[in-house]
Amino acid sequence: MSNLLIGALGVLVLLAILFLRVPIGVALALVGVCGYAAIDGWHKAFAVLASVPFELASAYSLSVVPLFILMGAVASRGNMAKEMFDAANGLFSGVRGALANATVGACALFGAICGSSIATAATFSKVAIPEMRRHGYEPAFAAGAVASAGTLDVLIPPSVLTAIYALAAEQSLAKLYAACFIPGFLLAGLYVLAIWAVAWIRPAWVPRVPGMRLAERLRAAVGMWKLVLLFFFALFGIYLGWFSPTEAAAMAAFVAILIAFFTRAMGWRGLLDALLESVFTTAAVFFIVVGAFIFSRFIVLTRFPADVSRWVLEAQFSPLSVLLAVMLLYFVLGTFLDEVSTILITVPVTLPLVTGIGYDGIWLGVFVTVMCTIGLISPPTGMTVFVIQAQHPDIPVTRIYLGTLPFLVADFVLVGLLIAFPALALWLPGVLKV
Amino acid sequence: MMLLTVADVTLRALFNTPIHGTFELIELGLACSVYIALPAVFLRDEHLVVDAIDYMVRRRVVRLLDLVAACLSLAVLTAMVLVMVPLARDMSEMGDVTADLSIPKLLYWVPVLLGVAASALCTLIYIARWRKGA
Repeated sequence: MSNLLIGALGVLVLLAILFLRVPIGVALALVGVCGYAAIDGWHKAFAVLASVPFELASAYSLSVVPLFILMGAVASRGNMAKEMFDAANGLFSGVRGALANATVGACALFGAICGSSIATAATFSKVAIPEMRRHGYEPAFAAGAVASAGTLDVLIPPSVLTAIYALAAEQSLAKLYAACFIPGFLLAGLYVLAIWAVAWIRPAWVPRVPGMRLAERLRAAVGMWKLVLLFFFALFGIYLGWFSPTEAAAMAAFVAILIAFFTRAMGWRGLLDALLESVFTTAAVFFIVVGAFIFSRFIVLTRFPADVSRWVLEAQFSPLSVLLAVMLLYFVLGTFLDEVSTILITVPVTLPLVTGIGYDGIWLGVFVTVMCTIGLISPPTGMTVFVIQAQHPDIPVTRIYLGTLPFLVADFVLVGLLIAFPALALWLPGVLKV
Repeated sequence: MMLLTVADVTLRALFNTPIHGTFELIELGLACSVYIALPAVFLRDEHLVVDAIDYMVRRRVVRLLDLVAACLSLAVLTAMVLVMVPLARDMSEMGDVTADLSIPKLLYWVPVLLGVAASALCTLIYIARWRKGA
């Protein structure tokens, strides 16, 4: 049996056992070590199984993950979501679709700090959906808006998923954060356009809400100070040359704890819960990283990525057709795999393929991240959709998917813009010279 | 990890005296925190799994698949422990230390080994609980 065939078989077996509920980290490690043994013998396969957990245990670059997760866990407990929603509502007040637009704005900023789409969607389904329903919004559209806006955190820096991609693809995290900045806020802008389009096509879904007075708007805007402070430490400190990404994550987590304590939004019990949540989440993600590294050693050994890249070049497919194939791959995987696993499993194959046709590894990071946001709201297993449905059981899942459709279109518009204008992602890292 | 980094950044910014060996201490903290928490992830079954099949089959089948998944997890974790022990022993005999603080490399390996071994044990407990119908 050729190595390429073993590689293809390994991928199929992996997908099969993932479908049978085997934990993702275990499935990756199992297929990785068995595949490696099929090509190079059990002795070397066991050497990989033994060494990878040790190598990753002391990977300094990975320490950014628990620190950003901690910042998010504290922000979730710090009552910041409601304040951001009020501030964003003040900004959009008076415009048709103001509440949905406020949801997008607040989710974009809160999600960036929180770092978890599921936590953002869960938080805003309590904050924004009741408010929208109270003002007569179509429940499916209100839920769809929160489900979709909740995914913005994946793209808007600082994002844990981007840190995972940086690790898997061996790319600069500072460059990736800079690259995600414009596409992230552009996607938020496209979501606002989607809301206006729905308001125009189906006015009954998005009724006009009385505007706020100037004094109310200003009062609401003051609530943004926490966010500004966190952004300053988590992001701008990197580009001012003050911190490395890991240091920025530590400073931001520390500042988030100080804010939560000084504003009495969180006590010692809350801090302990946040610490435990960040440690357990990191451990779960870490085990997937271990499995993915073992699996990627196997995939590299099969020369599958190199052979596919060579085949694509020799067949002289157009770059666009290759990108469409990659897009289809991520779309299909995103419908049933979580975003961390999607990135860790695919990057060893897609990175050489996409860089082989002339695109940049940083650009691919942004592209893949956008595709992951699509996976989070795509049927049959759009995670944020299920989170919202669990809290609003009277809105059927199928209706929520219908509500996400305008935002799904916006996602694909961004993908198209990224393919047509790679500078959307690559201009800022070049200007910042990170 | 967070406090150490904050102290390092603050001291570096204010007094130009960063803490010596911060990188190595943070790496040690990462190894300890992640691998010590890992057994709890296995015990509480908090893994990331693809649950698409949950909507297609009966609850009993899902439970059976959970058992198969736990057995596979146990096999992988046990294999990991068995192959990691000799590697850790070699590292101990070589006596490698880190560059800045001369921390024995073995100290980084102990939490990894213990964490994976405890995870195997926790998976075994999970399987025993499954048999009791928990």
